[in-house]
Amino acid sequence: MSTAASPTSPTSPSSPTSLAPGSGRGITPPDSTVVRAGTLSWLFPYRSALAAVGLGVLIALITALGAFASSTGMSFGDTLKGLMGTGDRATVMLVQDFRLPRIAVGLMVGAALGISGCLTQTLAGNRLATPDVIGVNEGATAAVVASVVGSSTGMIGDWWLGPLGAVGAAVLVVLCAGGAGGRGYRLLVVGIGVSTVIGAVTDLVMSRENDNTAGGVFLWTVGSLSGRDWTVGTPLLAVLIVLVPLALVAGSRLQLLRFDDDMASTLGVNLTVVRAATLALAVALAGVAVGIGGPIAFVALAAPVIAGRLGGPTRVPVIGSALVGAALIGAADALGRVVAPVEIPVGVITSVLGGPFLLWVLFGTSRPASGKA
Amino acid sequence: MHLAVEALTAGYPGHTAVRGVDLSVPAGQVVAIVGPNGCGKSTLLRAMARLHKPSSGSVRAGDADVWQLRQRAAAHRIALLPQSPQAPEAVTVAGLVRYGRHPHQGLFRQWSREDEQAVREALDATGATELAERRLDQLSGGQRQRCWLAMVLAQQTPIVLLDEPTSALDLGHAVEVLELVREVAAAGRTVVMVLHDLASAARYADTIVAMNAGEVLAHGPSREVVDAALVKELYGIDADILRAPGDGSPVVVPVARG
Repeated sequence: MSTAASPTSPTSPSSPTSLAPGSGRGITPPDSTVVRAGTLSWLFPYRSALAAVGLGVLIALITALGAFASSTGMSFGDTLKGLMGTGDRATVMLVQDFRLPRIAVGLMVGAALGISGCLTQTLAGNRLATPDVIGVNEGATAAVVASVVGSSTGMIGDWWLGPLGAVGAAVLVVLCAGGAGGRGYRLLVVGIGVSTVIGAVTDLVMSRENDNTAGGVFLWTVGSLSGRDWTVGTPLLAVLIVLVPLALVAGSRLQLLRFDDDMASTLGVNLTVVRAATLALAVALAGVAVGIGGPIAFVALAAPVIAGRLGGPTRVPVIGSALVGAALIGAADALGRVVAPVEIPVGVITSVLGGPFLLWVLFGTSRPASGKA
Repeated sequence: MHLAVEALTAGYPGHTAVRGVDLSVPAGQVVAIVGPNGCGKSTLLRAMARLHKPSSGSVRAGDADVWQLRQRAAAHRIALLPQSPQAPEAVTVAGLVRYGRHPHQGLFRQWSREDEQAVREALDATGATELAERRLDQLSGGQRQRCWLAMVLAQQTPIVLLDEPTSALDLGHAVEVLELVREVAAAGRTVVMVLHDLASAARYADTIVAMNAGEVLAHGPSREVVDAALVKELYGIDADILRAPGDGSPVVVPVARG
């Protein structure tokens, strides 16, 4: 506990330390270590890495707590043993086969939403530009409602209908907007319009259904992880394995979009390609996440903002957004299972937290973060 | 690197901004494009910078047609400082200048010794070394413009394009920037800049290109090109042309109208 007493921690960027001439300080990127081998060179961002490790620990903790939450008389110690696979057979089975899949799906949905939000926010240069705006929520909902109405049993159809609807709606929005051009304002406006139309049609169909069907679909439309297992977890994992590396590459290009278009172009960025690829990645990630977890609010908005605070303002926080998104959904899902006798869907919890956060983003962060002074 | 514009025509739907312009800039020269507002000088510069696709004609940087190059390859040859560039939020001066190295970087070349050297040299050349860790948005206009120039220099392109680099600066800072431009050219780079001020164009450019209505009216060394007839033709005003006592470069003094 050696906090405020230490006088040797002036790490704020504006500290008035004088530089020896010719020193690499101030010229090499801050918060990073250079690793060079021959003509190859890498930057290891230790501040982001530290944040990632911290978030990793947090996620592990949330996983353990999530497995423990709603447990019927199982001790926390037993839950941990179950997670590790060292407890007795029944415990291991209960934890790993019944609770862990849902938690894993939640974490992956959160990661996908976080990355997607990070990409769209950077693309539009606006923190309020989340994948929700381009119709993924309404598209997924419409597809799910259609599957219920269209089936004779009144059950929700196959898992891939949601992602399909989400991606379909987003593609429709992009086509109506005539491409991903400009800073995406056109896309946002068209997205709001198309979303409203799809949402209205869905509501119209729902209003003609009986209460039973409507009730079953309602749980889906607020965003819930109830009953999710590896039938959706495995494809979700596959999608993440393919798309996350691509998102990382896109993130390194997106950094340049913080300049105006002319500057970014003359620095060698092919804007058309970068924009189209980034938008496609964001739609795919959000589409799969929303299609599987339902329209869970606020995560795509908040995760990149929080990750940006943790990792520093100089880079596009792709990994950080994924980890924060995972932690948010993991925590919200665990919370939803312990705060009330009847489970509260994860989407409701995030909505409750999301309102105040949105106001904080709007009013509190117009100044870029640079130290806590 | 030699920069050559051949029969270049460019414009917008319903409006041709540049008509059949030919221009040849030898390496190490400073060329100033002057002319009234809307004469097409910015469009010409943007076509050279690969930002505005010409409807016909070509722009050659060295042995390559700029418009045949890939974006990144073009960024190895040509750098541009737009008129009022927008910086990333909260960026420091060194952070800004480092972005100039982007065309040279990649997945396996994220921060090479050359990058470090180029940034250091660019900061030195523009006198921005002391500002390196300051935030760009907290600097004065003159300081900021030097930092932007540092970024463009760090890109280490043989051709540098500047769009009205002095338009927002007071006289002292404007001269500072133009002196810097001369040093850049003296180091062997080719500079093409759009300037509003005919007098500083005459003073600091080797060659003046005077444009009106999308066409080149006059083209040559400033002392030969700038005269009362040209000023009348460009801006529609009567002016006396004086000779600066120091170096004989032309000074434009508009005649007061009645």
